[in-house]
Amino acid sequence: MRDWKSEVRQRLENSGLDGSSEAETVEELAQHADDRYDELLRAGEDDETASRIVRSELGRMEEVSRSRIRRQASAPPEPASNGSWLVDLWRDLRYGARSMRHAPLFTFFAVLTLALGIGANTTVFTVINSLILHPLPVADVSQLAVVYKTQAKTNGQANTHLPVSNADFTEFENRQRSFSSIAAYLGPQVLSLRTQEGYARAFGVFVSGRYFETLGIVPVLGRFIRQEDVLAKGSAPVAVISYNAWRLRFQGADPLGRAVVLNGTPLTIIGVAPKNFLGLDVFFGPDFWIPATMGETILPTQFKQALTDHSKDMFQVFGRLRPATSATTASSEMDALSVAVNQQYGDRNDAARVAVRPLLHELRGGDGGGLVIGSVVLLAIVGLLLAVACANVANLQLARGASRTGEIAVRIAMGARPTRLVRQFLAESLLLSLAGCALGSLIGYGGCRLLWSFLPSEVSANLVSFKLDPVVWFFTVGVSLATVFLFGLVPALRAAQIDVLSGLKQAERSGGRTRRARVFTQTLLAGQVAFSLVCLATAVLVFRSVQRAYHIDPGFNAHSLSIYMMNPEQIGYDTPRVKEFYREIRERVSSEPGVASASWASGLPFWNRASQSVRISGAGEQQKSSLLPAINFTVDVGYFSTMQIPIQRGRVFQLEDNENARPVAIINEQLARERWPGGDALGKELELAGENKPRQVVGIVGIANYTTLGEAPQNCIYVPLRQKFSGGMTLYVRANGAGGSVIESVQRNIRNFDPAMPVTDTRTGDKLVDDTLFSPRMAAGLLGIFGSLALLLASAGLYGAMAYSVKQREKEMGVRMALGASARSIIATVLRQGFKPVLWGLGAGLLGFVVLSRVLSRLLFGISPLDALSLGAGVLSLLTVAFVACYLPALNATRVDPTTVLR
Amino acid sequence: MSTADQEWKKGSAELLILSLLEARPRHGYDLAKLIESRSAGALSFHVTTIYPLLARLEERGLVTGRWEEKPEQRRRRYYSLTTKGRKTLAIQRTGWKEFVRAIAQVLESENA
Repeated sequence: MRDWKSEVRQRLENSGLDGSSEAETVEELAQHADDRYDELLRAGEDDETASRIVRSELGRMEEVSRSRIRRQASAPPEPASNGSWLVDLWRDLRYGARSMRHAPLFTFFAVLTLALGIGANTTVFTVINSLILHPLPVADVSQLAVVYKTQAKTNGQANTHLPVSNADFTEFENRQRSFSSIAAYLGPQVLSLRTQEGYARAFGVFVSGRYFETLGIVPVLGRFIRQEDVLAKGSAPVAVISYNAWRLRFQGADPLGRAVVLNGTPLTIIGVAPKNFLGLDVFFGPDFWIPATMGETILPTQFKQALTDHSKDMFQVFGRLRPATSATTASSEMDALSVAVNQQYGDRNDAARVAVRPLLHELRGGDGGGLVIGSVVLLAIVGLLLAVACANVANLQLARGASRTGEIAVRIAMGARPTRLVRQFLAESLLLSLAGCALGSLIGYGGCRLLWSFLPSEVSANLVSFKLDPVVWFFTVGVSLATVFLFGLVPALRAAQIDVLSGLKQAERSGGRTRRARVFTQTLLAGQVAFSLVCLATAVLVFRSVQRAYHIDPGFNAHSLSIYMMNPEQIGYDTPRVKEFYREIRERVSSEPGVASASWASGLPFWNRASQSVRISGAGEQQKSSLLPAINFTVDVGYFSTMQIPIQRGRVFQLEDNENARPVAIINEQLARERWPGGDALGKELELAGENKPRQVVGIVGIANYTTLGEAPQNCIYVPLRQKFSGGMTLYVRANGAGGSVIESVQRNIRNFDPAMPVTDTRTGDKLVDDTLFSPRMAAGLLGIFGSLALLLASAGLYGAMAYSVKQREKEMGVRMALGASARSIIATVLRQGFKPVLWGLGAGLLGFVVLSRVLSRLLFGISPLDALSLGAGVLSLLTVAFVACYLPALNATRVDPTTVLR
Repeated sequence: MSTADQEWKKGSAELLILSLLEARPRHGYDLAKLIESRSAGALSFHVTTIYPLLARLEERGLVTGRWEEKPEQRRRRYYSLTTKGRKTLAIQRTGWKEFVRAIAQVLESENA
């Protein structure tokens, strides 16, 4: 059977018929030709003669296409407007749907592009909205300010925002005038919650009486902790439960008056906190808020004298400023007050001052502003992504509009009113936007779910939830709609002024694209390329940075390590029994096959904060009286070999370092170097806050990372477990193989000792590092996604523009080939033309990357922001994509049959 | 194509199509074949004649085209008469008959 369709299609080329009319005409006429051909064969003609006859009868089809264009121009065939705008709108929408169906590629790309732009923006805006713009669901957050201690000399220490003791806080609370209300709290502490199945880990925040009052929030159920609850130590065995914990633990049943047992202490639930309220942390919240007066009952060791001792700096303080008081004024008042309190209660803290800063400033990352920088970078990227998406859609619409110049001219010539055309174009835009928005919202929702999946699942109930924000959604949808309508209208508005004759001619000659439109398209393309380069190079850079981060030496060997967090006091062990437990478990676990060594230490890696806790004995007068910030660890024997922290000088702790022996300590190189010339600290003495006997330095060990991976060096001091008892410890186990290989046998040993012993946290060392890198990994993931999206959009844009431009120049190519131009020279011409905007874009992208990398430098781990490999990878992938996007249309150009296009 | 053929078609093509569509909807090829067979080959309508004509009739609202699928047949575009088309056909038919009668009278009187 002959392919009459292509025969007819070829004859109808450049007829000016729109997609749907042309397809129908081709089908109808090809059928006719087919029938006629069969008839001739039946009449006894041979194939060749029959074909020739049919061809000659088909003839040239000007009259056919002219008549069809006239019929097409009189469409839509529905009845004329009856004045009801709803009927008109319905008719226009149907017409729009039809013309979209007939341009499936255009519709697919436009809808996908819009959806990606809307989806990505909705996701990122949602995150930034939750973390930065509306970080706390409390009353008038701008009035809140944090009060913290700061070192007069920071000495390059990483942590200068130091907590305040409860005793100092009580003085502040009674004497200050800057705040209408002031409160203190101790951030989330790991507690063990007794459940029907055994024990579960829970997080508790210990608060002063005016915590909730200062925040100005209202409970969902019941009441909050009040000042009168916390008058004396041990008063008010009550707790406020978080919204998520209430849903999780009580399945939403009335929890008021019910008891929860935390660390063996029963507490009555008096209220439920509002949904999404995580305390003063925008990211991580507790399950319970407990009066600070219950601290010593629930965490006896940690809270020992914590409410009365002026040297126990462990509480975060914040207040609500009086209406006419600024944070600066409050800062001066509080600083003076702090000096007065110090003088009254001894000279121990004279180097520390007190400062007040707006809470929002602190939540957004303080002076470093890491959160803000990260967010601004992300915002800039998704903003640009939306811009690129809109540019792509604009480009597609302009190209489509240009290709419809002929159709528009005919319709005007046939009497269609410009307002009617504008209305129909608007209806098409509306449909396009609706489809884009629907898909975009799905992508946005999926994006939020994806982000959620990055979060460590074991604490997901305590983490901020990224809910799709309607305001955010409306914003992105609004921007996209505006773009679609604006660029969708251009062809229609042009149509209103179109000169029918020149429009028809132009349609034939060049597809209706003016020089201005071409320049505009090229500029858009260059912009897209630039943006894609920035995105791609940044994504590679951050990815490489995360990769490097895994190779950062944290100062201990995280591989083949596993940790187990326990607090025997929580299930009623007295001190001798706790000591027995520590010794027994260490010995049993150490002798397990596959275990190299085991030891106990207070705290987890990367979960430590420095506190002002060390005083150097025998140094100059000024130094003598000041407390230095340092990380404190209580460790058992074998800790350094288990962690593989190198001993630089001196010795490690031994079993003999007990309460009867001389108090000793091991310090890290940082503290040694800072306080003793040449780091010669061995045999020197120092004092720990709250202790009355000095400790002798018996060893100096390497610096580790205590708070984050790759941090600036911090002071650290280790004291032996037998000299400083702690009720809650973490067991560290070094395996001969992978860290996870011994978990089961370690847990079995603990169960064998006491089946009721709650192990609140079990993780491998690698997982600890992994969790620490959660934010950079998330950033790398997001940037990777955006980078790929940008590349996809840029390649689609380039290909579309090139294919369109080649189509426009088909005649020119035909002439060139007829005059003897080779395929190579045609390809070279097309590539040259296509690469112009690409090269401009690459140049602009390089500049953009240089600027952006300066901002990024503080978020990177051990990699130069101008990393050649990242940049090279970005440039190379774009060049490849650009080459393919230009080469394919170029190849098509060489296949142009000169006789066809010139006819 | 003979001169007579061309002349006849100019004046009468519309009438032919409309009258062939009076009984039932037909597709383009069917129409062309009918014209050719009923005129015993004296009139032949090809693609370039019949489809522009159908498009013009459709544009004027005299006929309407619709894609139809019938069992074991390809999808085809069938044309049918509209109400306006029927009225026009009636007028044209009367006019044609009067015209033929008038011509015949003239020719007969010449020969008489």
